[in-house]
Formats: sequence, structure tokens, C-alpha cells
Amino acid sequence: MALFKESKGRQKAPLTPWKKKSTKEKKTLPGIASMDGRWGYPAIAPFFLIFVVFGVAPVIYSIYIAFFKWDPLGESEYNGINNFIFLFQDSDFWIALRNTFSIWALSTFPQMIIAISLAAILRNKRLKGKSFWRTILLVPNITSIIAITIVFQQLFGRDYGLINGILGLIPGVDNIDFIEGVIPSHVQIATMITWRWVGYNTLIFLASMLAIPDELYESASVDGATKWQQFKYVTLPSLKNTITFVLIVGTIGGLQVFAEPQQLNAEGGSTKQFLTLTLFLYNQAFLNNKYGYAAAIGIAITIIVLIISAINFVITRKLSGEGSR
Amino acid sequence: MKKFLSRSSFLGCLVAAAVTAGVLTVPAKAADPIVLTIWTFGEVIQPGLQREYQKLHPDVKIVPIKNDVDPLHQKTILSCQTGGPADIIAFEVPYSGYWRTGNRPNCFQDLRQMKTSATNVVAGVEAGLSALDIKKNYLPWRWEQGVAFNDSVIGIPTDVGGLQVAYRSDLFKKAGLPTDRAAVSKLWPTWDKFIETGQKYVSKLTAAEKKSGKGFIDDAGSIYAAVMNQGTVKYYEPNNTDAGKLVYKTNPQIKKAWNTTVKALNSGIGARLGQFSSDWNIGMNKGAMATILAPAWMLDYIKKQAPDTKGKWDIADLPVGGGNQGGTELGIPSYSKNKQAAYDFLTWYLAPEQQLKVFKTYGLFPSTSVLYDDPALLEYRDEFFSNAPVGQIYSKGILKLKPIFEGELQRKIDSTFGAGLGRVASKKMTSEKSYALVISDIDKIFKN
Amino acid sequence: MLGLITFLSIFPFYWMFIVSSNTDAEISKSPPSLVPGPRFMEVANKVLNAEGVYFSQALINTFIVGIAVAVAQVIFSAIAGFAFAKLQFKGRQFSILFVIATMMLPSQLGIVPLFIMANKLNLVNTLYALIVPALVTAFGVFWMRQIIDAQVPNEILEAATIDGASVPRVFWSVVLPSIRQSSFVLGLFAFLASWNDYLWPTIVLQSPERFTLQVALTQLKPLYGLDYSLQMGGAFLATAPLLILFIFVGRRLVSGVMDGAIKG
Repeated sequence: MALFKESKGRQKAPLTPWKKKSTKEKKTLPGIASMDGRWGYPAIAPFFLIFVVFGVAPVIYSIYIAFFKWDPLGESEYNGINNFIFLFQDSDFWIALRNTFSIWALSTFPQMIIAISLAAILRNKRLKGKSFWRTILLVPNITSIIAITIVFQQLFGRDYGLINGILGLIPGVDNIDFIEGVIPSHVQIATMITWRWVGYNTLIFLASMLAIPDELYESASVDGATKWQQFKYVTLPSLKNTITFVLIVGTIGGLQVFAEPQQLNAEGGSTKQFLTLTLFLYNQAFLNNKYGYAAAIGIAITIIVLIISAINFVITRKLSGEGSR
Repeated sequence: MKKFLSRSSFLGCLVAAAVTAGVLTVPAKAADPIVLTIWTFGEVIQPGLQREYQKLHPDVKIVPIKNDVDPLHQKTILSCQTGGPADIIAFEVPYSGYWRTGNRPNCFQDLRQMKTSATNVVAGVEAGLSALDIKKNYLPWRWEQGVAFNDSVIGIPTDVGGLQVAYRSDLFKKAGLPTDRAAVSKLWPTWDKFIETGQKYVSKLTAAEKKSGKGFIDDAGSIYAAVMNQGTVKYYEPNNTDAGKLVYKTNPQIKKAWNTTVKALNSGIGARLGQFSSDWNIGMNKGAMATILAPAWMLDYIKKQAPDTKGKWDIADLPVGGGNQGGTELGIPSYSKNKQAAYDFLTWYLAPEQQLKVFKTYGLFPSTSVLYDDPALLEYRDEFFSNAPVGQIYSKGILKLKPIFEGELQRKIDSTFGAGLGRVASKKMTSEKSYALVISDIDKIFKN
Repeated sequence: MLGLITFLSIFPFYWMFIVSSNTDAEISKSPPSLVPGPRFMEVANKVLNAEGVYFSQALINTFIVGIAVAVAQVIFSAIAGFAFAKLQFKGRQFSILFVIATMMLPSQLGIVPLFIMANKLNLVNTLYALIVPALVTAFGVFWMRQIIDAQVPNEILEAATIDGASVPRVFWSVVLPSIRQSSFVLGLFAFLASWNDYLWPTIVLQSPERFTLQVALTQLKPLYGLDYSLQMGGAFLATAPLLILFIFVGRRLVSGVMDGAIKG
């Protein structure tokens, strides 16, 4: 169709800067004035109908019962903001906060670097067996978390694990306890998370990289740029938008890490050394039957994620403000 | 341009998926066999016995559904509100405290009101028996764990853990300790003597062995539960209310158990291998521990994990005598649609005869104390454990135990103490600090 | 470098194979054996025939749910995402922000109300209980909004409108074709999310014939402790079919992604 020819030669990467959060931008709305805006409502209606029932209802429920003490087989009693006050004073909450941030930092940033590098390597059109590599990327994501935790526990075992076995070859290094130690346990969990998601994110970066037109690289190499310089000045700037997206989504997910710590130890470890916020929430609801308190935790988590995402967004916008094409 | 899916095949797929999903959700036709759905965990319902019952009763189909213990607890709670398909539900003794209090017994059928039908007379279960009639077959204190405070019988016990010391006679010999089980049992009439023996053992280890983490006992922390179960009161004191009185701060038994365990932890006799971790499995094969405080059900596990150590193990008495770890109840939820069939199966499965079979094949120790006089149990010997008379040893210990009141948040409080001891074991906190943290953590549970 | 990546990616999976093909005793040796043992077929047999684990049925169930969810999410998200990206209507800003904000509330909290709701709608123990709540997700709409915003230039839409096309027609003929490969990627991600989900299915599915794979795998656990080889065997067999599928579908995935890149 003739309409498609005009979409060629696009210079942008598939994902645009995240516009929605900026209140300061006075750019005109990207909608088409000529199209009948009234189609907006029926278009989002099917989505919203289902979303409101299954996506929004739990949210409303949480906000509501956060102000109660609620036991499903008992009575609920109105509790005002006591749940929140208690939360603020609960040392477990602050420990969980520390753990969550630590794990998030350890897993998100190395993962991004690896994912971008991998995508850069796989971008090479002359590489043989492309579909094989791309399948490999997704293998970690389709393996069951429960099974993987068992495997990694063996690898990270204090006395007989493979990793300590290798570390033991270095003189003077003692066996590390990857469960009891605060940072070591975070490392173990972060490794599991990274292993699981790095391929997924590589795929996203790859899709974006492939949209960068070859002409840019050609003209860069004609100008005498090395591979690394091409990467730095052609690839990276075009990826800034994807990086933002991956970072935001990764943050939302990373701050809600739950399954991996839970499989290691349902209580988050003897000193709660790897208790994450979501695990803390889950335990309050399902082990202690304190649904009201759990809802309060949920709201706290939402606020925290919101703040961090906003910070992320502002930072990456500032960075992309310089030197982007 | 290659199309992966054309737009119309998108829709086609959706329709196909909807149709198939719809087909799968058509409820099964009213089946001729009665289907008994059992919510359980692990292998509380032994496959062998399940098959046997189905052979006896071709009109009954048994469907066990396994869950992890905590999700199972959640499902039981949820289904009590909404109804569900289960006809029999298993719950662990620590949770029985929860179900026995308040309104919660109403979630279960009072088994005093059920009577066995004649369907299992051939298999040895008389007709017309209610829960009260079969009570005498069971250990009294074990039976009590299934009785709600309002006296309704909500569960019947399955196995009883029991607890004795499984030890490596070959390693004992190497360390110059006696190997005969009577002699070994005499080594430690008290826990202090147990710790002393441990220290003697460890002193005989070579430096290399010590460095590789070998110890006398796999996990000194396991002593805590053992000592606690030798008392009469845990965290709640019976006071004629269903909730009992919280005594976690004052009960001297707790202090005793804690201090004994800390002493053991600090004396270096433990190999610091968490039970069921992969390091523990490997350690069993490498002789990393010379003793394990073993409930009856663990013996089978040892056999599977470390078959090469056959004949090197033996079983001695637990210090002080009498111990227990673990146990399950089976109950019938009040919404079940097949209560009679469920009750018939239950009473058959938990009858002494069947429990003896379970013991011989899977090592789970029966709570049917009538068996404890039975030569079939008393003379049963296990080759793997140097022909120790397992039935005799464990029943002896179990008979010494006294009933303990299980309160509502038993399990939660227990695990808090466990975490506290873990901190001491990994030297993260001193005993006093850790204990204080345990108490404040438990206070928190009740505060908010 | 790539070799290392492959190795790291595959190694845990390979390890599962080793563990499932050896006896527990073998596994507990240290250093552990790095070579598969002879027991794989035996273990595989146990898994496929285990009591209460209807493995092939679980596989089918998981596929049905996954595909239904993937297809539905793509369709609904595309329509809604288009509206958020290109149509002007009141409340647009607020709605999309609200939708994104809901991603920040942990889903575990929603399980109890969801169960009560599913019970009222008589969906408990049906595959619908897995499909219906997943028909639309905030992530899907967010993704589509970004994609459509970036890949469909306004000029084209205006040209089509001037030519007299109605909005639905514009959507159908102009927007959909240009987002084909990104739609596929979204569908894939939706499928994977459904494949990996275990918390909600464990609570809401009651009969073994309805189980999805992750739930069926939990039926392999023994009473106390772990039966490594059985569980690993189950996990291995649960991953393998998808892997094989990927290898075949992977070609299409690759060319889909690459086509979009080269020609657009």
C-alpha cells in the first residue's frame, strides 16, 4: 500500500520518550485533530470494562481495607490510620526496604549493561544461526522459578556449592554463606533475577537497535569512527528511549521481587536479610492473616515505586536532553 | 512483507481458544464413582493404600491434590468462606491451634456425629463407629490435637513424628565412643551430657575435618524443638478458654530449651547444616554429622539420600526420653458433599491395620497406640539401621510424652524462635540480643 | 563471548537434566557429577504417569490459556493503545497515568478479592479464571501506546482520514499492519507471563485436570524434604516443549523483527 512508503527512513527508535509524566511540556497532543475523537471512548471501553473489574477492583479493595483490621474468618474492625502508623514504626518494613533496594540495584543495572552489550553483538546481520541465539535468550525465562531456585541453591551452597568451590581456589578466600550474609544473599537473588530476565531485555533492545538505519552507521564509519565510537554516538543515543522504558518497567518489577526470596526462605531469612517488600506483604496477608496491614504495605509499595519511577524518568530525560539525535 | 498472523487469523485464534476453554469447563457429568477430593501435602495419603482402597471400592475414586503447607492453609480458609470441592483436608498439628479456636471449628464436620457405614466391615472396620468410639485406639495426647475447644472432633491424627537419635556407629567407633545402642543411650541421659559427648567427639576430629565443617550433630538448632516438646506447656497455657493464655514470655520451658540450644550452638558441636538443604544431603553422604535428631519419617529419607551408608547407622534414645516432631490431622470440611464416603475412607485409612502397613513401607509412625503392644510393631527391625527395633524404640519414647496445648499462632511463634536461634548459630547476634528480638517480634504480631 | 552466554543460559537447564537423570544419592555427592545418568527415561516416565499429575493435560491447558491471553491482550491493548496515542478525548491523560499506576501495586494483594469475585462469577476451577483477568493488562496498553505513538506517523493517519476513512477503518488498515512485529513481541511476553504464573492458578484451580504446568509441578513434591530428581525431571519436561516450539517459531520471530527493521 502506498501509505507505507512514507514510514521508511524513520530516524527514531521504536519507543518515543515517555511523554505522559511531564506536566511542563507544552507540546501539542499527538492526537490527530482530524480524526473523530469520540471514537476514543468506545475504543478504550472493552479494555476498561475488564480492567476495572479485574485490575482496579483489587486496588480499591486494598485502599479500603488498609484502614481496617481484617481477618477473613473473623470480624473486621475499623482501625483508622493505625496500620500506617504501625508500618512506619515497624523495623521489618525498613529492613525490607533496604533489602528491596539493594536487590534492585544489584539486578537492574548490571542487567541493562549486559542486555545492551548482548543486543549489540547479536545485531550483526552476518552472524550465523541467529534464531538459535535468540531462542537461547528466552530459555531462562521459561524455566520454572521453583526449579531454578533449587539449582541455584546448589550452586551457591556454603560448604559444597560450585561457586564456593571456584572461589576456594583463590588463596585466603573463605567460603561465603550466600544465604545468611546480607549482601551475599542479595547477590544470589540478584543473580537469579538477572539470569532470568537478561535475555528478555536483550530482545527488547535488539528490536530497537534493528530499527536504527544502516545509513547512520555507514556515514559514521565513512567519517572514520571506530566500532566503539559508532556504538557510543550512533547506537546509544537512539536507544535512550528504550533504555527509559526498560528502566521504568524493570524498576516497577524489580521493586516487587517476590518469588525468588520466598523460595529461598519463606520468612526472608533468619535475620530477614533478604525479606523484600512484597514478600513482607505476602507474609502479613497469608501467614499472619492480617489483610488490613498487608493492604497498607501495598499502598506504601505503590508510593515508593511511583517515586522511584518518577526519579528514573527525570534522570533519563535529562540525559537524553543532551546529545540525542 | 511476511506476515506472522493475518488479522483474521488473530480473531480465529481467539475464537478457537474460547471454544476450547469453554469445552474444558463443562462440568463433568454426574459420575457413577463417588469422587473424594483430598487436599493434602506431600504424601500424607499413601499411593499404595489409596490404590488398595479403590480396589476394595470400585465405586469410589480418590483424588489427592497436593499443595505446599501454607498455601493449603490459605485455601482451607478461603474455601470455608466460599465453599469448595474438598472432602478431606489435611492440616498440620501446628495449625490445629488455629482451627480449634473461636468459630473456626465450624469449618469442619464434627466427627462425633458421623458413624461408619458397613462398607468396610470386610476390611476390619466395624459399622456404627463415631469418632468417640475410635478414640481409644489412639494416643491420648495425639488425639487431643484434633479436638476443638468446644469438644467437637475436627480431625483424626495420622502419624506421629516421634523423635530419637540416629547415629553413625562407624564414626562413633572412630572417635572412641561406644557403639552398642544401649550403651550409647546411657551416654546422654540429659541434654548436658549429650552436649558433652558431642564435644568429646569433635575433639577427636582432625583439623582438616573440622575445617571442612564436620560436626557431631547436623544442626544444633534442632535441639530446641526437641526440648520444647518434652514439656507440658509451649506458648499458651490452658486456662479453660479456647484461646488459652499467652505465656511466651514467662514459660520456663522456653528458657530452658533456648539456653540448652544456645549452649549446644556455642559448644561447636553442630555442623551447621540446615535440614533438607542440598548441603545437608551431601553432608549425610560424607559423614559430616554423626547424629541426627530423627523423627520416624526421616529414617526413610536418610535411606534414600545416603544409600551407601547402609548398616552404618543405629538408633539410640533421645536425652531425657520422649520426643516428637511433626504430625498431621485429617478432617472433613463442613461443605463436603460426600461426607459419609469421606468418613468411611478416613476411618479405614487411619485404622491400626492400615497404619501398620504405612509404617512398614514408608516409615511413618502410627498414632494408633493400640499397636504399641503389637508384636508386629515391636519386633520390626530395620536393616539399614543395624537392625534396630525401630517400632520398639520410637513407641517407648512416644509413650513418655505428655499432651501440650496448641494455641492459635503456635506455628508463627515457633518459627520466630527458630529464626532467633538461627541468628545465634550464624553468630550474627548474641543470645541475649537475639532472644530480646524474638520477644519483640512476637509482641508485634499481637500488637497490630 | 557468545559461547559464554550460551553456556550460562543453558547450564542451569542442562543441570536440571543431569539431576533428573541421576539418583538422589548421586546428586548428593560432591563434587557432583557433570554427566547425565541413566535414569532419565525412568524419571520422565514417573513424571508423566505420576498420581494426580496429568502432565499432557496440564501442557495443553497451559497452552490454551497462554495463547488465549496473548491474542486477547494484543487485540485489546492495540485498540486501547491506539486511542491513547492518537485520539483526542477528555480524560485521556488521567486514564493512562492511572493505568500505569496500577502496575505499581503488588498483584499478590489482589488474590483474595479476585478469588471471592471469581467465586461469585462461578469461575473457580475453570480455565476462564486464568484467562479473563488477564485479557487486559496495564503493561500491554502501555506498550502499545508507546509503539503506536512512535511507529505510526500522524501524517499517514491524516492522509487516510482526508481520504475519507473512518476511525475504525484507519485503525484496521493503517495502524495494525505497521505494528505487526511489536504486536508479536507483546503477544510473546503475554504468553510467557501466563506460562510462568503459579500463585493465582494454585489458589483458583482445584481439579488436577484443570491444572496448568506450574501447578502440576507442585504435585511432584514428596512429604518431607525434596525429591530432587523427580522435581527437576518435571521442570525439565515442562520447559522442553516450549523450547522446541521456540526453535521452530523462532525463525518467524526473527524474520518478523528483522523485516520490520529493514523495511520500516
